[in-house]
Amino acid sequence: MPDSEMKTVCIINGSLRSKKAASLAFSRDLEQRLPADKFETISIGVKVRVKDHYPKTTLLKIACADAIVLVFPLHNYGLPGSLMRLLEEYYEYINSGGEYKKSRLYMIVNCAFPRPAVVNGEVVRVVRNFCKRLSLRWRFAVCIGTGPVVVMTRRVPLFYHTLKKAYADIALDIRSSDEELKNDYFIKPVIPEFVITAIRRHYERSGKMIEG
Amino acid sequence: MMQVLLLLDKSSHTLLCEDLRDKIVRTLELKGHQVDVCELDKGDVFQCLGCLLCLTKHPDECVNKDIVNELRKKVKQYSATFFLTPVLFGHYSSTMAGAINRGAGSHDWQVFIGYGEDITGEEKQTFIDLVSKHRGAADIVHPGMDRKVDVFVTMSPEDNSKICEVMSYA
Repeated sequence: MPDSEMKTVCIINGSLRSKKAASLAFSRDLEQRLPADKFETISIGVKVRVKDHYPKTTLLKIACADAIVLVFPLHNYGLPGSLMRLLEEYYEYINSGGEYKKSRLYMIVNCAFPRPAVVNGEVVRVVRNFCKRLSLRWRFAVCIGTGPVVVMTRRVPLFYHTLKKAYADIALDIRSSDEELKNDYFIKPVIPEFVITAIRRHYERSGKMIEG
Repeated sequence: MMQVLLLLDKSSHTLLCEDLRDKIVRTLELKGHQVDVCELDKGDVFQCLGCLLCLTKHPDECVNKDIVNELRKKVKQYSATFFLTPVLFGHYSSTMAGAINRGAGSHDWQVFIGYGEDITGEEKQTFIDLVSKHRGAADIVHPGMDRKVDVFVTMSPEDNSKICEVMSYA
Protein backbone atom coordinates (compact mmCIF):
# COMPACT_ATOMS: atom_id res chain seq x y z
CA MET A 1 0.00 0.00 0.00
CA PRO A 2 1.64 3.30 -1.06
CA ASP A 3 2.30 5.81 1.70
CA SER A 4 1.25 9.45 1.14
CA GLU A 5 3.88 10.89 3.53
CA MET A 6 7.02 12.63 2.34
CA LYS A 7 9.96 10.20 2.52
CA THR A 8 13.51 11.11 3.38
CA VAL A 9 16.09 9.25 1.31
CA CYS A 10 19.76 9.31 2.22
CA ILE A 11 21.96 8.50 -0.78
CA ILE A 12 25.51 7.64 0.24
CA ASN A 13 28.06 7.83 -2.55
CA GLY A 14 30.86 5.46 -1.55
CA SER A 15 33.26 6.47 -4.32
CA LEU A 16 36.23 8.78 -3.84
CA ARG A 17 36.52 9.58 -7.55
CA SER A 18 34.37 12.74 -7.38
CA LYS A 19 33.16 13.77 -10.85
CA LYS A 20 34.80 10.78 -12.55
CA ALA A 21 32.86 8.28 -10.44
CA ALA A 22 30.37 5.95 -12.06
CA SER A 23 28.69 5.85 -8.64
CA LEU A 24 28.00 9.58 -8.85
CA ALA A 25 26.27 9.11 -12.21
CA PHE A 26 24.12 6.29 -10.79
CA SER A 27 23.30 8.39 -7.69
CA ARG A 28 22.15 11.26 -9.88
CA ASP A 29 20.10 8.97 -12.10
CA LEU A 30 18.32 7.64 -9.04
CA GLU A 31 17.76 11.14 -7.63
CA GLN A 32 16.05 12.13 -10.86
CA ARG A 33 13.52 9.39 -10.27
CA LEU A 34 12.65 10.64 -6.80
CA PRO A 35 10.27 13.58 -7.34
CA ALA A 36 10.76 16.47 -4.92
CA ASP A 37 7.09 16.55 -3.92
CA LYS A 38 7.31 12.98 -2.62
CA PHE A 39 10.94 12.55 -1.57
CA GLU A 40 13.46 14.64 0.28
CA THR A 41 16.89 13.45 -0.80
CA ILE A 42 20.05 13.93 1.22
CA SER A 43 23.43 13.13 -0.34
CA ILE A 44 26.42 12.06 1.70
CA GLY A 45 29.95 11.50 0.47
CA VAL A 46 32.82 9.58 2.03
CA LYS A 47 36.32 10.76 2.86
CA VAL A 48 39.72 9.45 1.85
CA ARG A 49 40.90 9.65 5.46
CA VAL A 50 39.06 10.41 8.67
CA LYS A 51 41.48 11.46 11.36
CA ASP A 52 39.04 11.23 14.27
CA HIS A 53 35.40 10.61 13.46
CA TYR A 54 32.74 11.50 10.94
CA PRO A 55 30.77 14.53 12.20
CA LYS A 56 27.73 13.61 14.27
CA THR A 57 25.59 15.63 11.86
CA THR A 58 26.52 13.18 9.08
CA LEU A 59 25.51 10.20 11.19
CA LEU A 60 22.26 11.93 12.20
CA LYS A 61 21.37 12.44 8.54
CA ILE A 62 21.61 8.70 8.01
CA ALA A 63 19.78 7.93 11.24
CA CYS A 64 16.79 10.11 10.31
CA ALA A 65 16.29 8.69 6.83
CA ASP A 66 13.32 6.54 5.87
CA ALA A 67 15.51 4.90 3.28
CA ILE A 68 19.25 4.55 2.80
CA VAL A 69 20.77 3.88 -0.61
CA LEU A 70 24.43 2.88 -0.72
CA VAL A 71 25.95 3.57 -4.13
CA PHE A 72 29.55 2.43 -4.49
CA PRO A 73 32.21 0.76 -6.62
CA LEU A 74 33.27 -2.78 -5.77
CA HIS A 75 36.79 -2.80 -4.30
CA ASN A 76 38.51 -6.17 -4.19
CA TYR A 77 35.10 -7.89 -4.15
CA GLY A 78 34.18 -5.95 -1.01
CA LEU A 79 33.24 -2.49 0.17
CA PRO A 80 35.50 0.49 -0.49
CA GLY A 81 37.41 1.20 2.75
CA SER A 82 36.01 4.72 2.90
CA LEU A 83 32.42 3.46 2.88
CA MET A 84 33.30 0.71 5.34
CA ARG A 85 34.62 3.38 7.70
CA LEU A 86 31.33 5.28 7.53
CA LEU A 87 29.33 2.10 8.21
CA GLU A 88 31.61 1.26 11.16
CA GLU A 89 31.04 4.70 12.63
CA TYR A 90 27.29 4.51 12.08
CA TYR A 91 27.25 1.11 13.78
CA GLU A 92 29.21 2.49 16.74
CA TYR A 93 26.90 5.48 16.96
CA ILE A 94 23.80 3.26 17.12
CA ASN A 95 25.47 0.86 19.56
CA SER A 96 26.28 3.72 21.88
CA GLY A 97 22.58 4.53 22.16
CA GLY A 98 22.04 6.87 19.21
CA GLU A 99 18.43 7.00 18.06
CA TYR A 100 17.68 5.92 14.54
CA LYS A 101 14.95 4.90 12.18
CA LYS A 102 14.76 1.28 11.07
CA SER A 103 15.35 2.49 7.54
CA ARG A 104 14.78 0.52 4.36
CA LEU A 105 18.16 -0.13 2.76
CA TYR A 106 19.11 -0.54 -0.90
CA MET A 107 22.48 -0.80 -2.59
CA ILE A 108 23.72 -0.01 -6.07
CA VAL A 109 27.14 -1.54 -6.63
CA ASN A 110 29.17 -1.24 -9.80
CA CYS A 111 32.16 -3.39 -10.57
CA ALA A 112 34.86 -3.48 -13.24
CA PHE A 113 33.89 -6.96 -14.40
CA PRO A 114 31.16 -7.46 -17.03
CA ARG A 115 29.38 -10.28 -15.17
CA PRO A 116 27.86 -8.70 -12.06
CA ALA A 117 26.35 -11.92 -10.71
CA VAL A 118 29.78 -13.54 -10.46
CA VAL A 119 31.65 -10.97 -8.38
CA ASN A 120 29.10 -9.09 -6.26
CA GLY A 121 27.61 -11.91 -4.19
CA GLU A 122 29.77 -11.44 -1.10
CA VAL A 123 29.46 -7.66 -0.88
CA VAL A 124 25.68 -8.03 -0.98
CA ARG A 125 25.95 -10.46 1.93
CA VAL A 126 28.13 -7.98 3.85
CA VAL A 127 25.49 -5.26 3.51
CA ARG A 128 22.75 -7.71 4.49
CA ASN A 129 24.78 -8.61 7.59
CA PHE A 130 25.08 -4.91 8.39
CA CYS A 131 21.29 -4.61 8.16
CA LYS A 132 20.80 -7.60 10.45
CA ARG A 133 23.15 -6.13 13.06
CA LEU A 134 21.17 -2.88 13.16
CA SER A 135 17.71 -4.30 12.42
CA LEU A 136 17.56 -2.18 9.27
CA ARG A 137 15.14 -3.37 6.61
CA TRP A 138 17.18 -4.86 3.80
CA ARG A 139 15.35 -4.58 0.50
CA PHE A 140 17.43 -5.43 -2.57
CA ALA A 141 20.65 -4.82 -4.49
CA VAL A 142 21.27 -3.46 -7.96
CA CYS A 143 24.53 -4.97 -9.24
CA ILE A 144 26.00 -3.33 -12.31
CA GLY A 145 28.74 -4.93 -14.40
CA THR A 146 31.47 -2.65 -15.78
CA GLY A 147 29.99 0.50 -14.28
CA PRO A 148 31.95 2.99 -16.43
CA VAL A 149 30.77 1.30 -19.64
CA VAL A 150 27.16 1.38 -18.44
CA VAL A 151 27.54 5.09 -17.58
CA MET A 152 28.87 5.84 -21.08
CA THR A 153 26.14 3.91 -22.87
CA ARG A 154 23.14 4.28 -20.58
CA ARG A 155 21.44 6.97 -22.65
CA VAL A 156 21.32 4.73 -25.73
CA PRO A 157 17.61 4.16 -26.46
CA LEU A 158 16.13 0.71 -25.86
CA PHE A 159 19.03 -0.48 -23.68
CA TYR A 160 19.20 -0.91 -19.93
CA HIS A 161 15.53 -1.53 -19.42
CA THR A 162 16.45 -3.49 -16.26
CA LEU A 163 18.42 -0.57 -14.80
CA LYS A 164 15.52 1.81 -15.36
CA LYS A 165 13.18 -0.76 -13.83
CA ALA A 166 15.49 -1.07 -10.81
CA TYR A 167 15.44 2.70 -10.19
CA ALA A 168 11.66 2.76 -10.53
CA ASP A 169 11.40 -0.19 -8.15
CA ILE A 170 13.53 1.60 -5.53
CA ALA A 171 11.28 4.69 -5.74
CA LEU A 172 8.14 2.55 -5.50
CA ASP A 173 9.47 0.34 -2.73
CA ILE A 174 10.51 3.28 -0.51
CA ARG A 175 6.89 4.42 -0.47
CA SER A 176 5.54 0.93 0.03
CA SER A 177 5.00 -0.87 3.31
CA ASP A 178 5.87 -4.17 1.65
CA GLU A 179 8.33 -6.19 3.74
CA GLU A 180 8.63 -9.22 1.48
CA LEU A 181 12.17 -9.57 0.18
CA LYS A 182 12.69 -8.83 -3.50
CA ASN A 183 15.15 -10.27 -5.97
CA ASP A 184 18.36 -8.40 -6.72
CA TYR A 185 18.87 -6.78 -10.11
CA PHE A 186 21.86 -7.62 -12.31
CA ILE A 187 22.76 -5.25 -15.13
CA LYS A 188 25.22 -6.30 -17.80
CA PRO A 189 26.89 -3.79 -20.13
CA VAL A 190 25.69 -3.68 -23.75
CA ILE A 191 29.25 -4.07 -25.02
CA PRO A 192 30.22 -7.78 -25.23
CA GLU A 193 32.56 -9.15 -22.57
CA PHE A 194 35.37 -10.04 -24.96
CA VAL A 195 35.51 -6.44 -26.22
CA ILE A 196 35.62 -5.07 -22.66
CA THR A 197 38.35 -7.55 -21.69
CA ALA A 198 40.40 -6.61 -24.75
CA ILE A 199 40.05 -2.89 -23.98
CA ARG A 200 41.04 -3.44 -20.33
CA ARG A 201 44.11 -5.47 -21.28
CA HIS A 202 45.15 -2.85 -23.82
CA TYR A 203 44.94 -0.02 -21.33
CA GLU A 204 46.61 -1.97 -18.55
CA ARG A 205 49.51 -2.64 -20.89
CA SER A 206 49.76 0.84 -22.30
CA GLY A 207 49.65 2.57 -18.95
CA LYS A 208 46.11 3.91 -19.18
CA MET A 209 42.84 2.64 -17.80
CA ILE A 210 39.15 3.24 -18.34
CA GLU A 211 37.94 5.75 -15.76
CA GLY A 212 36.12 3.78 -13.05
CA MET B 1 63.86 -18.50 5.81
CA MET B 2 61.01 -16.22 4.76
CA GLN B 3 60.50 -12.58 5.53
CA VAL B 4 56.90 -12.14 6.71
CA LEU B 5 54.89 -8.97 7.19
CA LEU B 6 52.15 -9.09 9.80
CA LEU B 7 49.62 -6.27 9.61
CA LEU B 8 47.34 -5.43 12.51
CA ASP B 9 44.51 -2.97 13.03
CA LYS B 10 45.73 -0.87 15.95
CA SER B 11 42.29 0.66 16.41
CA SER B 12 40.65 -2.71 17.04
CA HIS B 13 42.95 -4.32 19.58
CA THR B 14 41.35 -6.96 21.76
CA LEU B 15 42.77 -9.64 24.03
CA LEU B 16 41.88 -12.19 21.36
CA CYS B 17 43.84 -10.22 18.76
CA GLU B 18 46.87 -9.88 21.02
CA ASP B 19 46.82 -13.61 21.78
CA LEU B 20 46.58 -14.32 18.04
CA ARG B 21 49.44 -11.95 17.21
CA ASP B 22 51.72 -13.45 19.87
CA LYS B 23 50.96 -17.02 18.81
CA ILE B 24 51.41 -16.31 15.10
CA VAL B 25 54.72 -14.50 15.65
CA ARG B 26 55.99 -17.32 17.88
CA THR B 27 54.93 -19.99 15.36
CA LEU B 28 56.60 -18.22 12.44
CA GLU B 29 59.77 -17.43 14.35
CA LEU B 30 60.02 -21.04 15.52
CA LYS B 31 60.05 -22.00 11.86
CA GLY B 32 63.00 -19.64 11.38
CA HIS B 33 61.12 -16.87 9.59
CA GLN B 34 61.73 -13.20 10.18
CA VAL B 35 58.51 -11.40 11.14
CA ASP B 36 57.94 -7.65 10.81
CA VAL B 37 54.87 -6.47 12.71
CA CYS B 38 53.16 -3.29 11.57
CA GLU B 39 50.20 -1.76 13.39
CA LEU B 40 47.96 0.46 11.27
CA ASP B 41 45.97 3.21 12.92
CA LYS B 42 42.70 4.14 11.25
CA GLY B 43 43.47 7.84 11.50
CA ASP B 44 46.72 7.40 9.58
CA VAL B 45 45.56 5.22 6.70
CA PHE B 46 44.28 6.73 3.47
CA GLN B 47 41.66 4.76 1.60
CA CYS B 48 41.95 3.55 -1.98
CA LEU B 49 40.72 6.14 -4.50
CA GLY B 50 40.10 3.50 -7.15
CA CYS B 51 42.16 5.52 -9.65
CA LEU B 52 44.02 2.36 -10.76
CA LEU B 53 47.20 4.33 -11.44
CA CYS B 54 49.08 1.83 -9.27
CA LEU B 55 48.15 -0.85 -11.83
CA THR B 56 48.99 1.20 -14.86
CA LYS B 57 51.04 4.39 -14.80
CA HIS B 58 53.26 3.86 -11.78
CA PRO B 59 53.15 0.28 -10.48
CA ASP B 60 54.24 -0.24 -6.85
CA GLU B 61 53.36 3.33 -5.94
CA CYS B 62 50.12 4.84 -4.66
CA VAL B 63 49.12 8.46 -5.20
CA ASN B 64 48.42 8.74 -1.47
CA LYS B 65 51.66 9.07 0.46
CA ASP B 66 51.17 7.36 3.79
CA ILE B 67 52.38 4.29 5.67
CA VAL B 68 50.53 1.95 3.27
CA ASN B 69 52.40 3.45 0.33
CA GLU B 70 55.68 2.71 2.14
CA LEU B 71 54.56 -0.89 2.71
CA ARG B 72 53.55 -1.21 -0.92
CA LYS B 73 57.01 -0.11 -2.08
CA LYS B 74 58.57 -2.88 0.02
CA VAL B 75 56.03 -5.55 -0.86
CA LYS B 76 58.42 -7.56 -3.02
CA GLN B 77 60.81 -8.16 -0.14
CA TYR B 78 58.16 -10.15 1.73
CA SER B 79 57.34 -13.77 0.96
CA ALA B 80 54.11 -13.59 2.91
CA THR B 81 51.72 -11.03 4.39
CA PHE B 82 49.38 -11.81 7.27
CA PHE B 83 46.34 -9.55 7.65
CA LEU B 84 44.90 -9.72 11.16
CA THR B 85 41.56 -7.94 11.10
CA PRO B 86 38.36 -7.74 13.10
CA VAL B 87 35.41 -9.23 11.22
CA LEU B 88 32.71 -6.57 10.84
CA PHE B 89 29.50 -7.65 9.10
CA GLY B 90 31.58 -10.39 7.42
CA HIS B 91 34.10 -7.86 6.07
CA TYR B 92 37.58 -6.77 7.08
CA SER B 93 37.86 -3.46 8.93
CA SER B 94 38.19 -0.17 7.06
CA THR B 95 41.75 0.22 8.31
CA MET B 96 42.74 -3.14 6.88
CA ALA B 97 40.77 -2.39 3.71
CA GLY B 98 43.10 0.59 3.24
CA ALA B 99 46.04 -1.82 3.12
CA ILE B 100 44.37 -4.66 1.20
CA ASN B 101 42.80 -2.50 -1.50
CA ARG B 102 46.03 -0.58 -2.05
CA GLY B 103 48.12 -3.66 -2.62
CA ALA B 104 50.15 -3.91 0.58
CA GLY B 105 50.08 -7.71 0.49
CA SER B 106 52.79 -10.01 -0.81
CA HIS B 107 51.95 -11.49 -4.20
CA ASP B 108 53.43 -14.85 -3.14
CA TRP B 109 51.30 -15.65 -0.12
CA GLN B 110 48.57 -13.77 1.71
CA VAL B 111 46.91 -15.00 4.90
CA PHE B 112 43.71 -13.34 6.08
CA ILE B 113 42.80 -14.00 9.71
CA GLY B 114 39.55 -12.48 10.91
CA TYR B 115 38.85 -12.28 14.62
CA GLY B 116 35.95 -11.43 16.89
CA GLU B 117 34.11 -12.97 19.78
CA ASP B 118 30.56 -12.22 18.64
CA ILE B 119 30.75 -13.07 14.95
CA THR B 120 27.59 -14.76 13.65
CA GLY B 121 27.78 -17.91 11.54
CA GLU B 122 26.76 -15.98 8.43
CA GLU B 123 29.35 -13.25 9.06
CA LYS B 124 32.04 -15.88 9.48
CA GLN B 125 31.10 -17.60 6.23
CA THR B 126 30.82 -14.26 4.39
CA PHE B 127 34.36 -13.34 5.46
CA ILE B 128 35.71 -16.71 4.33
CA ASP B 129 33.89 -16.50 0.98
CA LEU B 130 34.92 -12.88 0.42
CA VAL B 131 38.52 -14.09 0.35
CA SER B 132 38.41 -17.67 -0.84
CA LYS B 133 35.90 -17.29 -3.69
CA HIS B 134 37.70 -14.43 -5.39
CA ARG B 135 41.37 -14.24 -4.50
CA GLY B 136 44.44 -16.30 -5.29
CA ALA B 137 43.64 -19.26 -7.51
CA ALA B 138 39.97 -18.20 -7.65
CA ASP B 139 40.71 -14.74 -9.07
CA ILE B 140 39.10 -14.50 -12.53
CA VAL B 141 39.68 -10.77 -13.06
CA HIS B 142 43.45 -10.74 -12.55
CA PRO B 143 44.40 -14.44 -12.52
CA GLY B 144 47.81 -15.14 -11.09
CA MET B 145 48.18 -11.77 -9.37
CA ASP B 146 48.32 -13.33 -5.89
CA ARG B 147 49.75 -16.82 -5.99
CA LYS B 148 48.48 -18.30 -2.74
CA VAL B 149 45.78 -17.01 -0.41
CA ASP B 150 44.54 -18.55 2.85
CA VAL B 151 41.72 -17.44 5.13
CA PHE B 152 40.82 -18.25 8.74
CA VAL B 153 38.41 -16.93 11.33
CA THR B 154 39.04 -17.10 15.05
CA MET B 155 36.58 -16.56 17.88
CA SER B 156 38.65 -17.86 20.79
CA PRO B 157 42.22 -18.50 21.99
CA GLU B 158 41.62 -22.18 21.16
CA ASP B 159 40.88 -21.21 17.55
CA ASN B 160 44.12 -19.18 17.57
CA SER B 161 46.07 -22.27 18.59
CA LYS B 162 44.44 -24.35 15.85
CA ILE B 163 45.30 -21.74 13.22
CA CYS B 164 48.92 -21.72 14.41
CA GLU B 165 49.02 -25.49 14.22
CA VAL B 166 47.97 -25.29 10.57
CA MET B 167 50.56 -22.56 10.01
CA SER B 168 53.29 -24.68 11.51
CA TYR B 169 52.78 -27.22 8.71
CA ALA B 170 52.51 -24.59 5.95
